[in-house]
Amino acid sequence: MREITYAQAINEALRENMRRNNRIILMGEDIGRYGGIFQVTAGLLNEFGPDRVIDTPISEAGFVGTCVGAAMTGLHPVAEVMFIDFTTCAMDMIVNQMAKMHYMSGGRGKVPFVLRTNIGAGRGAAAQHSQSFHSFFMHIPGLKVVTPATPYDAKGLMNMALADENPVVFVEHKKLFITKGHVPEESYAIPFGKADIKREGNDITIVATHALVQKTLNVAEEMSREGIEIEVLDPRTISPLDRETILNSVRKTGKLITADEGCVSGGFGSEVAAIVAQEAFDYLEAPVVRVGSPDTPVPFSPPLEQFYIPDEGNIREAVNKILEYQ
Amino acid sequence: MATEVVLPMLGITVEKGRILKWLKSEGDRVEKGESIFEVEADKVTTEVECPASGILKKILIPENVELPVLTVVGVITAEGEEVPEKYVTGKPGIAEPPKGAPLEVILSSPSVDVSERSDQIKAVPAARKVARQYGIDLSLISGSGPEGTILKKDVESYMALSRVEMAVPKGEEKRATPLARRLAEKEGIPLESIRGTGPHGRVTKEDVLKASEKRKAGLPSEAPVETLFGKTIPMSRMRRVIARRISQSAFTAPHIHFFTDVDMGKLIGLRNESLSDFEDQFGVRISINDFIIKAVGLIIREYPMLNASLDGENIRINPEINVGLAVALEEGLIVPAIPRADRCGLEDIARMRVDLVERARKGKLTIEEIERGTFTVSSLAQFGITYFTAILNPPQSGILTVGKLDEKISFINGEVRTKQVTRFGLSVDHRIVDGAVAAAFLQAFKGKLESPSCTFLQLT
Repeated sequence: MREITYAQAINEALRENMRRNNRIILMGEDIGRYGGIFQVTAGLLNEFGPDRVIDTPISEAGFVGTCVGAAMTGLHPVAEVMFIDFTTCAMDMIVNQMAKMHYMSGGRGKVPFVLRTNIGAGRGAAAQHSQSFHSFFMHIPGLKVVTPATPYDAKGLMNMALADENPVVFVEHKKLFITKGHVPEESYAIPFGKADIKREGNDITIVATHALVQKTLNVAEEMSREGIEIEVLDPRTISPLDRETILNSVRKTGKLITADEGCVSGGFGSEVAAIVAQEAFDYLEAPVVRVGSPDTPVPFSPPLEQFYIPDEGNIREAVNKILEYQ
Repeated sequence: MATEVVLPMLGITVEKGRILKWLKSEGDRVEKGESIFEVEADKVTTEVECPASGILKKILIPENVELPVLTVVGVITAEGEEVPEKYVTGKPGIAEPPKGAPLEVILSSPSVDVSERSDQIKAVPAARKVARQYGIDLSLISGSGPEGTILKKDVESYMALSRVEMAVPKGEEKRATPLARRLAEKEGIPLESIRGTGPHGRVTKEDVLKASEKRKAGLPSEAPVETLFGKTIPMSRMRRVIARRISQSAFTAPHIHFFTDVDMGKLIGLRNESLSDFEDQFGVRISINDFIIKAVGLIIREYPMLNASLDGENIRINPEINVGLAVALEEGLIVPAIPRADRCGLEDIARMRVDLVERARKGKLTIEEIERGTFTVSSLAQFGITYFTAILNPPQSGILTVGKLDEKISFINGEVRTKQVTRFGLSVDHRIVDGAVAAAFLQAFKGKLESPSCTFLQLT
């Protein structure tokens, strides 16, 4: 099977859907002529023209709000917010409009709108361009939150997002855009709320998202040589969340680690830990350990930034802590 | 520091007991090891030893009240020390039950739950769950996790050591609606044999009615027809214990095996001759096994190494000769032991054997009855087995196997005669017993059985 990058996989999904469905339009900063800061929309302006691929001013509240209105009145917009950090400018549009209209109109108004953005530190872009607060959106009923970790998932999940008549926050990861993987040429969709068991194991469950999926798999391979079998789950969408797969795995292993790049406090891992504490308490054989970013802004200093980003070392440390209970 | 007096585990399947009599009163001085109360469970009455010295400051449970094992029944404090707050009257489950109130309700209130009491103890949730399920006091377990945290495996190995795990966990009852439960009881159909069609396999009234009709029509119940071929099944708790203990024995104790043929003619004659008189006099049918157990007991007196177990670098020779008899069960096997078999009369051996075997099959043995064994006899005579080797029942040093009774032709003084012969086997732990000792033991055993009148005249 051919290999393409994560960015190309999303590009391909957008292109194929735009060819089939002329309700789909794209909006965002530098997405047209420049092809998007991470080249996800490269070539789409040429193929679909400026009526469907629209470069906007630097005005997140403006274009996200425009997209909500466009969605309610018949289009299927896809917006790119250059970094998740900038979604804060459009928070009223996202939280109070995009997420609420379907409910507040008694189901008569739909908001078929995909808001693309990305998380992740590591580009020396400092505290306002490197954050990973995707778990904000998990907290808002009415939003689906998608977190692809591989090119294959990125394409399949984008296809699913564009088939959805309700709003989706599609959270990509900066450091994954250039990673390559097998992606089928044909169209396929990955259902929301269905976790992927990336690796089976009986000893420890690790629920990982985004870039931490691969890092967790690397640690799992290492530990396997020492006879420790780690089960790696990628939820793929954090809302809806596949609770059953997580709970079943913890019921089997009795041990849970979460690995998500957001700050630890109030993050995705906290939610998973809470679900497990509530639904599978009696199965826990060790404390839950959350791997994530420290509760500080992302540092600008490159060595500090490297220290800040959760990696294999942090996962190994968590595994060792759990192994004290083995 | 205050010490809790608890109703002890009284046996592997015993869940409840009652205090027949407090032998001490509130305020009495008590010494560790002296008897503090008498308890009755499953018709067995035992005196329970005091767990600590001090003052029996508070009696929490009065006499003649049925309660779950491991319930705290009293508190011992040091001289002058007050009873800790949590035991003071007024807390549910510790107060004297009001007259006529259903005690079950009082005792099942959370404060009596043993794992709830151990709230200062560090234990992971999964360990607490197992402890709760089997009524195990976590304070008796030392944890192997960080800072002494009790892990699930610590509870499991504690259970294995104290052999609690053969007990039926409280929670694993078959799910059934209350109506179905009553109906099944009325119809005398075990719930386990009924396939439940309700949510989570819950047995409903309709399921019971269906099963009852099927039974009336002479059809087998549904559950057992499932085929096992191609399936992977989890080991039952009893199976796991057997597996662990047997492999421990097989892979640590170097076994050597010996066989001898014993002419059983005279013994069979003696047994047949005395059978009906014996039954009239003692009300029990004596079996060949009873003679074998007695003979083994007598010979062990002369061969103490066959009544021994290894304890590190030492050999511990057990003070009493308690001969166990392996009893096959559907689930596995269990070895209740006849205490002081060398000193018991045949009628006592016969009576105890009948009782122990019957209770073994019903799962009603006490831990004491299983653990006291110092030597084992295992018979497959009824299966027509010629002879077999056995794995030692750890930590014992010897096990005697009994084959079938065979008629053999032999020459005696030039004449052809038939003899009734049984082949006996003896397997021993070579770390403790050498070949010559084992052979001499077996030879002596053969002598005892072949001259039964002499052997069984010796009654003390």
